[in-house]
Parts: sequence; C-alpha cells; structure tokens
Amino acid sequence: MRTRHPIAASLAVGGYVVMLVPILFVVVTAFTAGSTLRFPPDGFSLRWFEAALTYEPFTSSLLSSLMLAAISAVLALALGVPVALAVHRGALPGRSVVEGLFLSPLIVPELVVGLALYQQLMVGFGLDNFQTLLLGHTVLMFPYAVRVTGASLALIDPAVEDAARGLGASPGRTFLSVTLPLLRPGLFSAALLSFITSFNNVPLSLLLQSRDFRTLPVVMLDYVQQNYDPIVAAISVLILAGTVLVAVIAERTVGFARVFGGINR
Amino acid sequence: MTHAARFHGVSQVFGDFTAVDNIDLDIPDGKLTTLLGPSGCGKTTSLRMLAGYLAPTRGTISIAGVDSTRTPPERRNLGMVFQSYALFPHMSVADNVGFGLKMRRVPAADRARRVTESLELVGLAHLSASKPKKLSGGQQQRVALARAIAIRPKLLLLDEPLSNLDARLRIQMRAEIRRIQAETGLAVVLVTHDQDEALEMSDEMVLMKDGRIQQQGTPQAVFPAPANRFVAEFLGYENFLTDAGGATTTIRPEHLALSVSERTPAAETGAVLPGVVLDVAYRGVDVLVTVASADVSGARVELLADLRAESAPDLTPGADVWVHVPATHLVPLAAD
Amino acid sequence: MRGRTALLVLPGLAILLVAFLIPSIAMLFSPPGISPGEVFARLGRMLTDPYDQAIVVRTLGLGLIVTVVCIGLGYPIAYLLSRSTSRWAGVLLALAIFPLLLSSVVRTFGWLVVLGSQGAIPQLLLTLGLVDSAPQLLYTPLAIVLGLTQIFLPLAVVASYSALAQVDAGLDEAARGLGANRTRTFWSVVVPLSGPGVVVAATLVFAGAVTAYTTPYLLGGSRQRMLSTQLYTYSSTTIDWAAASATALIMTVLVFAVSGLSSLAARRGATS
Repeated sequence: MRTRHPIAASLAVGGYVVMLVPILFVVVTAFTAGSTLRFPPDGFSLRWFEAALTYEPFTSSLLSSLMLAAISAVLALALGVPVALAVHRGALPGRSVVEGLFLSPLIVPELVVGLALYQQLMVGFGLDNFQTLLLGHTVLMFPYAVRVTGASLALIDPAVEDAARGLGASPGRTFLSVTLPLLRPGLFSAALLSFITSFNNVPLSLLLQSRDFRTLPVVMLDYVQQNYDPIVAAISVLILAGTVLVAVIAERTVGFARVFGGINR
Repeated sequence: MTHAARFHGVSQVFGDFTAVDNIDLDIPDGKLTTLLGPSGCGKTTSLRMLAGYLAPTRGTISIAGVDSTRTPPERRNLGMVFQSYALFPHMSVADNVGFGLKMRRVPAADRARRVTESLELVGLAHLSASKPKKLSGGQQQRVALARAIAIRPKLLLLDEPLSNLDARLRIQMRAEIRRIQAETGLAVVLVTHDQDEALEMSDEMVLMKDGRIQQQGTPQAVFPAPANRFVAEFLGYENFLTDAGGATTTIRPEHLALSVSERTPAAETGAVLPGVVLDVAYRGVDVLVTVASADVSGARVELLADLRAESAPDLTPGADVWVHVPATHLVPLAAD
Repeated sequence: MRGRTALLVLPGLAILLVAFLIPSIAMLFSPPGISPGEVFARLGRMLTDPYDQAIVVRTLGLGLIVTVVCIGLGYPIAYLLSRSTSRWAGVLLALAIFPLLLSSVVRTFGWLVVLGSQGAIPQLLLTLGLVDSAPQLLYTPLAIVLGLTQIFLPLAVVASYSALAQVDAGLDEAARGLGANRTRTFWSVVVPLSGPGVVVAATLVFAGAVTAYTTPYLLGGSRQRMLSTQLYTYSSTTIDWAAASATALIMTVLVFAVSGLSSLAARRGATS
C-alpha cells in the first residue's frame, strides 16, 4: 500500500510487528527437532506435537477448559438473555441500574474477582473448585450475554413482535417464532465471545485451580515456569489453529469484525 | 348505524403526559374512518389502544359490541398494518401472510388457498416465495395488507400506512386501499397526518388535537364547515378575520379576489379591505399573493389570496390593492 | 407485566449476587479467619511501606508507558485503516483484531522465544558481533512493556477504529476544500472528533495493563513485581489474606479512579 502518511505508516508497521511477529516465532519454534527454545531452530520435526498431545496434564486440562467454557457460555446465555429481554422489552423499573450491574464484572479486575471467589466461596464457604470456576466464569460472561444480545435485540423493530401478537400469537409463541429467530446472530456472537473468553482466561482460573480440575492456560503457565522446552510452542500452535478455526466460523456466519471487534464494515 | 368499535371515556396517561384525554368515539361498520391530526395528537395512541397494545388508563373499548378493554391483542382478531410494515424478515411472503392462519390452526391446504387469495387481492401472488427484504416499499406495504386481511379480521387498522412511500406511489395506494375496503367490506381505521389523504379516502374523518377529538363527520360535512380555528388551519384555511361582533371567521385563499381599484371586480356582498402586496409567488396554474391589510375590527392581518394565473392582475410587492371578501364564503369559527 | 419482567431478571441477579457482588464486598471486611478492619489496617501499612510503594509505582509507571505506546501505535493503524479504500484494509483490520481471540499465554510465550537468552534477538545481536554475551532482556521493564503492548494493542486499534469510523470522511474532504492541508486537517478535524473514543481506548488499555497477570508473571518474574503478581503471591504462597485483599482493593480503586476520570473527561469534552 502506498501511503501519503509516512509517519503514521511506519508507526503502524511497528504496531503490527509487535502484535504478530512473536506469534510467528512460536510457530517456527514448534517445528524444531532440537530440545530447547533456541533460535534459529535445530532442524524440522513434529516430535513436539506428539509430545504435547500425549502429555497428560495438557490433554486432561484441554478437556477441562473446553467443558468449562461450553457450560459457562450456555449458563451465561440462559441467565443473561432473559435479562437483556427484560431491559429492552419489559416494563423494568431502574433498567439502567440492572444493566449496569450485569456489565459490572467487566470493570472489576478479573484477578480480584478470582481472589474474592477463592477466599469467600472456596475457602470460606467450602464450594469445590469446579463449582466455583463455573460460577465465576458464568458471571464473567454475563456482560457479553447481556450486551451483545441486547444490542441485537435493539435492532429488532418492536412492531414485528406487535404484529405477531396482533395475528394471534401468544407472548411465548411470539418469542419462539419471531424474536428468537431474529436474535440468532446476536446469540451466536455472544456464545462465541463467551466461549473464547472463558477458554483463554487466566486471572480468574489461576486461584481457583485444584489438582483435580485445572484449565489449559493455567497448566501451560506452570509448565513454562519450570521447563524450557518447545512442547509449549507445540500446544500453542494447536491453540492457534483452533482459534483460527473459530475466527473462520465467525467470519462465515455473522462476520468476524462484527463478533470480535463490534465493528460493522 | 352499527358500530365496529366504540371508545367510551377513554384516556391514556403516560407519567404526567395525557396522550388521549377522555374521548368518546364510534367507528362505523363497513366504512373507512380516518384519525387525522398533527404528531402527538393522540391518533396513534388511540389506534394502539384499539389494537390492544396499550391498556387505557381510564374508559372502555368495545369491539363489535363486546367490551374488549382487557383483551390481549392476540385475541382481538384485528388486522393491523404498521407504519414500518413490520414484516417478519426471516419468513417468505407466503409465510408472513399465512402466519395468522397458522396461529389459528387453519389446515395447511386451506391456509395455502387463503394466502393465495389474499396475495391476489393485492396483486402479489407471483412473489409469494420471496423474502420481504427483496421487495420494494410499495410491495412490502401490500404484503402487510394481505397479511392483515388473511385472518378475516373484524377491523383493519392502518397506522400511517402511506407515509414511507414516495409521492406517486402514495396517490396510487390511496385508491388501492379504497378498492380493497370496498371489495372486502371491512371496517377500516386509518391514522394519518395528511389532510389530503384523509379527505380523499375517508367515509368518516375524526380530527384530533392534544388527545381530544375536535370534529368528526364526513369529509363533505367537515371541509366546508370547520368547527374551530385548529381544524380550519389543519384543512388549509389561511385567512382569519375578526368580524364586527368580535367573532373569528375564516375564508379559503381561493375565495379572495384582488383588484387595483376598489370597485372591480363587481363586488358581491361582503367586505372590501385596502392592503399592500407583500409577496407574489407564481405557481403556473395559480398565483399566491400575500397582502398586509386590516380587518373590519381594525386588527392588522396578513391575507393570502390564491388567484387563477390567467385572470390575476399584474402585481408587484409594494403595490396598493383592494381585497374582496365575499360574505357567502366566510365560515364562522367556535373558540378553540 | 411488571411481575413477569422481574422473573426474567431474578435468576441471573441471584448468581450475580452470590458469585460476584457479595464475595467482592465480603473480601474487604471478612477474609477467612481475619477480624474486620484488619484489611484496612494492612492497607494503611502497605501504603507507607517502601517495598509495597515501589510495586505500586512500578505498576502505575509501566501501565502509563504501555498506554502511551498502545495509543501511539494503535491510533495510526486505526486511522489508516478507517481512511483506506484498499481491499487489503479488511484483511489488515482482521489481523489486528485476531490477537484478541488468541490466548494471552500463547502470545506472551512468543516473547520468551524472542527475548530469551537463546532467543532470536540476543542470538541475532551475538551473530552480528554487537555484544559479547547474550544480554539479559527477559525479566526487565522493557520485556513487560513489549509483552503488554502486544496484548493490549488490538484493543487500542479496535476502540480507536470505532471512534474514527464515526468521523465522516466527508469532513476531511470539506476541510481540505476549505484550504486546510493534510496535516492541518488531521489535527484540527480528525483528532478532536475522535478524541473521546481515544480516551475510552486509553482507559481500557490502562485498566488492562495494571491488572494483567500472565505477562508480568512470565516476562517480569519475581524481579519485576507488579500488583497482580504480588496479589497472587499473597493469596497462594504466603496465604496472607489481609494483604491479598488490600492489594486487590488498591488495584480496584486504581481502575475505578481511571474509569471515573475518563468518563468525567468525556463529559467535559462533550459540553465544551
């Protein structure tokens, strides 16, 4: 791209380098035949992928992470969508206060939420760590469920719902046959966002780990701290591939920039 | 006369704003009634109460002789066409039109037949498989009409149905809606802010302002005899004069005549007022002349005369003229 | 009607109370086995202790630097993308958003590969003969700034882009037509109109940078302690609940204060 803004363009190039180049180095390192994170890598092999996929802490925590992300995303939607409906369609007193409350987990630092839940629910109240993780992740996903589906709800002409009522549909029937189908892109966006956010979360999951149930990012963090071999590069590349897959699904359905950037081009 | 619907002492209050203020209104059966007025006059609120989307704060609404004040919209069996058309974007034209029948558990075969009938009535049977987004504004409007008619409603309610169409299509749809009304024999209530639309389409027109009914009657009865200054202004009366007794009278611009000398044209009975031309606007068929004058009570008034272009005197701003006000066309007005 | 609406909100509200609001507040007043008031007493001691002060100052300082760098790099990216008509602009925008989806552990791990003693940059410097031995780049403030910039730059781009996309490109052309040159147009039309969006972007980056855990943990280690890594140590290594709660309070107050200041700035910007 030729540009009439040389200063802005060089800053922009610098920005892209910082954002993307370290990721490229991870990819290259994952295919090394050597046993250190040395650069340039010593030859080419797939041995570290095999190692990553047979290393039990990675595989079991990957399953844990996927399960936790899926259940908490479903829970957050199941509890959050009715809130979005109440805020945008119902006769709710103090609706901005209610909406603000459900968005508030976004403002409080996640590590602080993690500490609060660890201290009060796990240590203080005796919940087990899976229950606590599930509650915490669900609460953390509320803002996405309420805001993203709310934004999508605000785009639906309320007259369409009125029209269904006038044609003989009960409120429940109207929701199922008109509102819900029109809300589908918003629900899908919220689900994807929630899933990804939960899957990647470290600060909340960190304090809530136990020997029986740990999430993949937390296990990786521990591993990196103690070992200096390319197995983490290999699992990183696998996560990268999964993330690209999610991005492609988002692009094919609702639009990538719209789901993850809130941008309509 | 039988009534399709009846408002009895109906009010709608939002917080400290009274949108509809204690109205009594009869909607005649088998006729087209318009609710006419400026925005905020309460016409759409009245329609939404009739359709069941808003519960009246006070009063009762009966439909076909049955008190329906607390009946939810899905059990009123009224066909409503929304200003935005409100077609279901995720359904085909046929599914939109068949939606109400599906809710009534009409068997599939009957449903298909009635959908086709309704679409034929609006001339769109060939588009039944299309999605609403693919249709023009006028076509969407017709689908919305077909959808409302398909359920064989007790009343057809139209909320500003023509306001989103361009000028030519709007004129065309006026005749179309009249035709559909005549063919189905339905009672129709149409909300509009356009007095030409109301005059052309109505059997009965209801003028509203500030949540109250100002005047009701056939166009032929209302137009020549506006009840008060608001109705007169809304129907295009421009000139308001205070007569010798202190009462307000009005006259339409096309009933004023101008002359450069006091005696021509031959005076009818009425007043002849001296004035000065302020502005002349040539419009092809006619000429609009604004004249600064004083009425018989001595108050300063601006008068607007609408003259046939070929017989208008040659006037420029600043010229002295005489304004002829024929007594036969003066309409006395009640106080607002 | 009102009753039914309340029913929609109640289940979610119950979870929000139990799993967020009540624990967050209870943490300040009654950590397990700690008498009420102990947290605040500990907070008072921390704020006067030089060791803890240094952590707060480091956290604030690095957060500020990261914010400036992220806006300095992110705003130009967003500006060029929002004004570009090239078909590559969409791809470049997607490339700037994509890292938001990728695990911060994966992204930060990349810097270990780049900055580690056997990593790309030290090895390159050795090969070029610029240094005699591999320089220590990890566990330095520079490493943390680089790592946090990588993490939060996408956020700065997205937020700036949203603000810039709302500035009608027709205004640029109008200003040019009225005789302003490119630079003048940028500073007198584009920047003021997208300013509030940039304040939002800066707030998001700052709040993220002063509370992030993964990056300071991997790239700063125990040599460059920040509030987040310190909080973790208090709550899982030394199990000092009062200190952990007090640190959490400092972090939260910092974030709330910056958010409050920025919305105040936005409101003043809107009225002036």
